[in-house]
Amino acid sequence: MSFLNPFFLLGLAALAAPVLVHLVRRTRARRVEFPALYFVRQVPQRTIRRRTLRDLLLLALRCLALLLVVFAFTRPFFRGAEAGSSPARGALLTVVLLDASLSMRHAGRFDEAKRRARALVGEAREGERVALLTFAEGFEVVSDFTADAVALRAALAPLSAGYEATDYEQALRGAEALIVKARGAGAKRVLMVSDFQAGGWDASRATFRLGSDVRLALIDVGGDVAPNAAVTNVEARGEIYAQKYEDKLAVHVANFSDDERGPVTLDFQINEQTIEKRELTLAPREHRVVEFTGFNLAEGANRCAVRLRSEDFAPDNDFYFTLGREAQSKALIIDGAGRGDSFYLRSALAAGGGLPFTFDVRGAAAVDPAAIAGHSLVILNDAGAAPGALSESVTRFVESGGRLVIAAGPNTRPESFNSAFGRVAPLRLGEAVLLQRGDTVALTGVKNSHPIFDVFRDGGRLPSARVFGYVRGEPRAGASVLATFEDGSPALVESGAGAGRVLLYTSTLGMSWSDLPLTPDYLPLVQQMVRYLGERDVSAWHRLGQAFAVTSDAEGRPPAIDAPSGARLKNGEPSRGGETLLTGSEPGFYRLRYAAGHRFAAVNIDGREGDFARLNQEEFLAAFTGGDPDARRSAGAGERESGEEVEARQRVWWPLLVAALLLLAAESMLARRTKVAKMIG
Amino acid sequence: MWWRRNRKDKSQAAGEPAGPAQAAGGSPRFLDPDVLARIGSLELLARAVVEGFISGLHRSPFTGFSTEFAEYRQYNAGDDLRYLDWRLLGRTDRYFIKKYRADTNAQVTLLVDTSGSMGYAGAVGGLTKLRYAQFLAAALAHLAARQQDAVGLVGFGEAIHTHVPALNRTGHMRTIYGRLSALEAGGETRLSRSLHEVAERLTRRGVVILISDFYDEPGRLADAFQHLRFRGHDLIAFHLLDRREVEFDFDDAVLLLEDSETAEQLPVLPDVVADGYRERLTAHVEALRQTCAANRVDYEQVTTDSPLDFALFSFLSRRAGKAK
Repeated sequence: MSFLNPFFLLGLAALAAPVLVHLVRRTRARRVEFPALYFVRQVPQRTIRRRTLRDLLLLALRCLALLLVVFAFTRPFFRGAEAGSSPARGALLTVVLLDASLSMRHAGRFDEAKRRARALVGEAREGERVALLTFAEGFEVVSDFTADAVALRAALAPLSAGYEATDYEQALRGAEALIVKARGAGAKRVLMVSDFQAGGWDASRATFRLGSDVRLALIDVGGDVAPNAAVTNVEARGEIYAQKYEDKLAVHVANFSDDERGPVTLDFQINEQTIEKRELTLAPREHRVVEFTGFNLAEGANRCAVRLRSEDFAPDNDFYFTLGREAQSKALIIDGAGRGDSFYLRSALAAGGGLPFTFDVRGAAAVDPAAIAGHSLVILNDAGAAPGALSESVTRFVESGGRLVIAAGPNTRPESFNSAFGRVAPLRLGEAVLLQRGDTVALTGVKNSHPIFDVFRDGGRLPSARVFGYVRGEPRAGASVLATFEDGSPALVESGAGAGRVLLYTSTLGMSWSDLPLTPDYLPLVQQMVRYLGERDVSAWHRLGQAFAVTSDAEGRPPAIDAPSGARLKNGEPSRGGETLLTGSEPGFYRLRYAAGHRFAAVNIDGREGDFARLNQEEFLAAFTGGDPDARRSAGAGERESGEEVEARQRVWWPLLVAALLLLAAESMLARRTKVAKMIG
Repeated sequence: MWWRRNRKDKSQAAGEPAGPAQAAGGSPRFLDPDVLARIGSLELLARAVVEGFISGLHRSPFTGFSTEFAEYRQYNAGDDLRYLDWRLLGRTDRYFIKKYRADTNAQVTLLVDTSGSMGYAGAVGGLTKLRYAQFLAAALAHLAARQQDAVGLVGFGEAIHTHVPALNRTGHMRTIYGRLSALEAGGETRLSRSLHEVAERLTRRGVVILISDFYDEPGRLADAFQHLRFRGHDLIAFHLLDRREVEFDFDDAVLLLEDSETAEQLPVLPDVVADGYRERLTAHVEALRQTCAANRVDYEQVTTDSPLDFALFSFLSRRAGKAK
C-alpha cells in the first residue's frame, strides 16, 4: 500500500487523543480501600463489565474512525501485481493535460489540478519524458516532451485558469498529435487533470479515438457538483436607429442545480446605470427567458449588462453586450414621376421608424445624377427609361458599394433596362408576362434561410399575394434567386456588383401587376429588403475565444484597443476589408479607441461552463480508448501507473471516509446508550 | 462535660434532627466515639464510659450478680471445714455447710477481631472499626471488672495472636487495657477457625464477647458458635460495621475499590452497584442474625458512629434478661 499524501500520516498522532482521554479518565478513578469487596464482587458484574466493554468499544470505535479518516486523507492506493517493476520496452512518453477552462476557476480547482500535475511530474521515473498541455476550447503546449522535472514545474507555476469553455476532444487530439510528433517507441499515456464537466464533451458527436498504444487516465479534481445559476445568453439587435428600443431583448437565465434557486435579482444596466430589476425564482434545472423592452438608448455606443445577483460562481453571473443607436442614412426612391407608383412603398417604409434610412421619392427625370452618390440606398421602382447620365451614375454608385433595389413594372422596357443597368442588375430581363384577367401566380420557391424571409419563416404567408404581371429573365452568373413564381420564373434575385449589392424584383412593388401592397406581407417584405441591404451586421456581443472584426476609422486607421482588465492590446491582424480581427480572451467590454471617440465590443464566456454537472467517466474513457479497459489501466506491458493514476482509479479514500462516518455514527449511538444507561442506573 | 457540650454544639450547628442519642430535654446521654477517640488511655476511656453510663441509669442492673448465700446442707466427711457454719454449730450443735453461688462472678472473655478489614475507616482519618472495637472491649472489660468478673482477652486475625486468660485480680485490668491497645489490624479473616481455636482454649465456662465485622460464611460461623456453646459459653456477638460499609454512599462516578485484606482491586461504578451491594449485605446480616438466633447467641449490630454506651446498654439489657 502506498500513500499519495504520506505527510497526513502525522495525523496518526491524533489517535493518542482518545487513548489519553481514556487513560486520564481511568486515572481519575479514586482508589479506595474497602473491606466488603466480597459483597461488591457478588453484585452481578455484568453491568460494569458491559459498560467497561462499551467503553473499550467506544475507544476502539473512536480510534478506528480517526485512523480511517487519517488514512483517507493520505489517499492510499494499492499497486497490483502487474504494476511495476518490469523494465520498460522504451522510454515512456507522458502527456499531462491540464484543464484551464473557466469552470476550473471554481473553488480552487485549478490550484488542486496544478498540485496534482506537479505530483505527476514528480513521479516521473528515470528516462520518462513528460509534456504539459493546457486546454479549454483548444489546447496550448506549455512544455514539449522533456525529462527535466524542474523545467516542467517551472512551466507549471505561472499557469492559471482562463475563461474559455471546455472541449475534451480537442485536448485529446492535441495530446495525440504531440505523441505522434514525438515518435517515441515506448509506452505512451495521457493523464488528463480536469473537473470533467459534462458540457465539455458531446458523446453523440464523438468521432475521435486515441491510438491503441496510448493509455488514458483521468484525474478528477471536480469534487462535488456545486449549485450555480447563470446568465447564458442575450438576444438583442446590436444597432438601432431610434431612441426607444422597441424590440424584445431576451435574456436567458439558467439554473444548473437540482435545487430551486431564488429569489434572485436580475439587474439590467445601461452604461452602468440600473434600468430595471427583476426578481426570479428558478426551478431545478430551469432555463428561463426574461424579456426587456421599451427602454431608451443614448446616441452612439451603449454598454449594457445583465447581472444576476447570486452568491455562487461569479464569472457567469454577468453578461455584457452593446446596443448602438445610430443616425439614419439617406435613401432615394426613383419612380415614374406623377404616377403614384411609390405610394405604397413609401408608406410601408415610413411605418415603424426602425429602418436605417430616411426616404426621398423623386421621378427619374427630376433626379440629379450627381446627387446619387450622397445616398446609401437607391430604389428604382418601375422608373422606366432612365436618362443615360442617371443610369451611369447609379451603376457607379453600386460598384462603389452602394445598395440598389430594382422593381420591374409596366414602365420597364427590358431592352433599355438591360443596356442601362446590365453591369449591375442580377437578372437580364426578358419578356413581360401579363396574365389574363382572373389568372394569377403566387410567389413560390422562397429561400427561407435568407435574412429577408426571416420574418416569414414561421408564418409562411408570403405566397398569399396574387401576381398577374411580371418580367421573365435570366439570372446572370453569381446571382442568387431568392424566390420564384409558380412557373419557375425568378421573382426576387440578388447579386453583388462591385462593392455593392443589388436586389431585383421582377414584378411591381405598387398595384400595377399584383395585389402585394394590399397583403399583410408587403410591409415586412419591403422593410426586410431594405433592412437587409442597409443594416450592418452588428453583433451585440461576441463569444470569448471567437474572432470578430473591428472596423477602422474614416482614415483607415485601426483603433487602439483596451481589454476589460485595462491592458492595452497590440493591433490584431488586418483583414481584407481593412478591419482588424480581435479575439476576446476575457469577459467584459473591450474599449475601441478611435480618434473621433470610443466604441465598445462586449465579450462573454460560454454559458455552458456554469453547468458543473459531471460527465460519465467510464463512458468517456470507453469512447476515447475504444472501450478496452486495459487501454486505460495498463497499456504498456512495462509501464508503471503513477500513484495519482492508481489512486484516481481506485479511490480508496472514499470507502475509508464512508466507513469512518459509519463508525462515528455507531460510536455516537453507543455513547448515547451508555449515557442513558448510566443516567437510569 | 466538655465533650457533651461539643457534641451538642456540632449537632445543632449541622441542623441535624434530634435522634435517639438525645433525650427529650435535649441534652446528650451517650458518648460520641469521635470524642472518645481523643482520650489516649483506654482505661480512662473505659472508666469514663462505664461510670457515665451507670450514673445515667435509673436502676442498677448489678443486683443479680453479687455473691450471695444459696443454701445449707449437711456436713459430710471430707467437706472443707472453711465453709462450716460455726455459729449454727454453736447454737444447734449440728454440722451444716454454707453453700454459696459459686458462679456469680463470671469469666468474661473478649474476642477482638484484628483482621485487615477491621482497620477500615469510612472517612479519611476517621475511627477504624478496630479502634472502635478497642473502645467497646475496654468499656465492657471495665464494666465486667466492676462487678468482679474475671476478664480475659483474645485477639485474632488469621490466627489467635493475643491471649490474656481471664483473671480477677489487682492489676489484671492494666494488662487487659495494655494488650488491647496494642492490637493492630492486619491479615485475612479466619473467624470461624479462630472461634474453634478459642473454644478449645477456654477451659472454663463463661461469657464470650465477640467483636468482629463477621466477614465469614454464616454457615461456617454456625459451627464455631455451636462449638463454643457446646463448651458451655454464653456468646455475645457485636457485629461491627462502618457507616459507609452499610450505606455504600460514594460520590465518585467510578471507584477503584481495594480489598483491605487481599489488596485486590476492583473498578466499580458506585451508582450502579450500590443497591446490589446493600441487598447482599442486608442478606448477610440477616443470615448472621438467624445463625446467632439459632445458636442462642446474642447478636448486636453496631456501627462505628454509634455512641458506645448504646452498645453497653444493649449488652446489659440482654445480660439482665438472661439473669431473670
